[in-house]
Amino acid sequence: MLIVRKLAGAGLTIFVIVMLGFFIFRAMPGDPERMLIGSAKGVTPEMLTQIRARWGLDRPLFPDQFISYLLSVARGDFGYSFKFRGATVLDVIGPRVMPTLLLVGIAQVIAIAAGLWIGACAGWRPGSVFDRLGSSLALGAYGMPTFWLGMVLLIVFASWLRWFPVTGLANFGNDDSIGEWSEIIRRSVLPIATVAIAQTGQYALLMRAAVVEVSKEDFVTTARAKGIGSNAVLRRHLVPNARLPIVTLISLNLGFIVAGAVTVEAVFSWPGLGLLTVEAMRARDYPVLQALFMIFAVSTVLVNMVADLLYTQLDPRVSR
Amino acid sequence: MSRFMQPSLGQLASGLLLVLVGLAALVPDLLVGPIETIVTATGIPMSPPSADHWLGTDEVGRDILNLTVHSARITMLVALLASALSMVLGTAVGVVAGYARGAADMLMMRVADFFLVMPAFILALVLAPLAIEIGGEQGTILGFRPTLLVTVVVIGVTSWAGTARIVRSQTLSLRTRPFVDRARVIGASHKRIIFLHILPNLVSLIIANTILTIVAAIWIESALSFIGLGDPFQPSWGTMLFNAQQAGAAGVGAWWYVFTPGLTIVLVVVSLYSLSHSVALGLGSQRRRAA
Repeated sequence: MLIVRKLAGAGLTIFVIVMLGFFIFRAMPGDPERMLIGSAKGVTPEMLTQIRARWGLDRPLFPDQFISYLLSVARGDFGYSFKFRGATVLDVIGPRVMPTLLLVGIAQVIAIAAGLWIGACAGWRPGSVFDRLGSSLALGAYGMPTFWLGMVLLIVFASWLRWFPVTGLANFGNDDSIGEWSEIIRRSVLPIATVAIAQTGQYALLMRAAVVEVSKEDFVTTARAKGIGSNAVLRRHLVPNARLPIVTLISLNLGFIVAGAVTVEAVFSWPGLGLLTVEAMRARDYPVLQALFMIFAVSTVLVNMVADLLYTQLDPRVSR
Repeated sequence: MSRFMQPSLGQLASGLLLVLVGLAALVPDLLVGPIETIVTATGIPMSPPSADHWLGTDEVGRDILNLTVHSARITMLVALLASALSMVLGTAVGVVAGYARGAADMLMMRVADFFLVMPAFILALVLAPLAIEIGGEQGTILGFRPTLLVTVVVIGVTSWAGTARIVRSQTLSLRTRPFVDRARVIGASHKRIIFLHILPNLVSLIIANTILTIVAAIWIESALSFIGLGDPFQPSWGTMLFNAQQAGAAGVGAWWYVFTPGLTIVLVVVSLYSLSHSVALGLGSQRRRAA
């Protein structure tokens, strides 16, 4: 029953996002056809009429245009990119998906593992040296803009120490030195480290708070009174109970993770969706921008839904 | 409240820093003189910190300290306006939903859920170029550059949901307290109960939460400016980092150019956290006394 309700809720939210996409990009002042052909000179009235007919712009905004819009979105057809003329939006977006998934995915795994470990150890002995150091570092990492951390890492590790190259994967394929896996990995270290460190701080802070909170519970006192060792209490009694807020955080923070990834990709010229967003925004490539907006928003909703369902698995009290 | 009477060293430092940022936002000219432009730049481009330029210069020879102080105004203005908008929206929705309950509550929380998952940054990213298109590169809307206004509105409109949820749950508990019952029995109107009995008890909660919204707003404003949606003539800390990135400051090791605006953001954010934490602690001690 709960699953049905969650699915319905997510479906509704996605519908609202799709509608929002329509209103943001169609109902704004200015001619949509001017957006479609850009600022090209020498456009005759006949060509304009042709374009209007082709895009259905000669029909009323509602319901004709809205319905055709819904149908094309359902087919995954977002039209043609302004910037990369002739290419469909999906052709432009397709090759950019994998780099972003790799960047965000690897960084998340590292951040969750490191953050939970630091947070659990810090929360287990609040006030200890490890706690004070760990918490300050975590707060610092949490407080800094992700892209700035990327620039700092570039200065320290690429410019001063020269361990890693300054350039990212920008010239991927054009540059002979790339193509070897070792080179790709070498260029991926700093971007992934940036996203990972920025996220670690948050997980560590939350895990610490959760562990401190749970250790006040009676069952922890009982476990210790039974003579169970510190490590076992932490692993078997504290961590499983502290998992819940972390799941919520992971899902609620996807928006921030995406924002972090967009800016970090801009810093390192990482050829993913984030860099594409920046490029599309600078070129005023609205069809691409619209599709990116949908992808980011819908994936946020889906991840939230999965987290909600996972939550009921982890905590049987919720489903009751 | 004793926490406020005897502030720790960290709290003192945070307070001092925030006062400095406030001064920088209000009277930057008194601190470092008028803002330097390409024409009035006083230094050699990309020179490291020296006696003349304590924090070095940028790619056209402008003093970094001067720019950083002048950037405080836009960053803080956007952050404060957005948080004010978010605070008013979130409090109004939260109090009404929690007080009225029933269908209105369900509807409002459904809307709040939508905004809770809507990524503010992405929405701003899409709306900002449209606003520039509508308002024109040079145009202003209500005296604001279009991107600034979009930033304020988008942050405000997407961040109220968290506040609304917290305020609502607190209102739900407050409305059943004896003092609210007593007020109702002697015939106080809903308006009177909300404004005189419920809202005053929510103040510290709302303040603590709003400070966190300010942090999020600073963060989003910086990220948007960093990818080029800022105003080159009215810099914010994010715009400075955008310029640094465009000039390749990180690649050539111009650390002063990157560190100064970035560290300023980090210090301000951490200070605000510490402030929010103190307010929340004050709230906790109030609750304990009430119990």
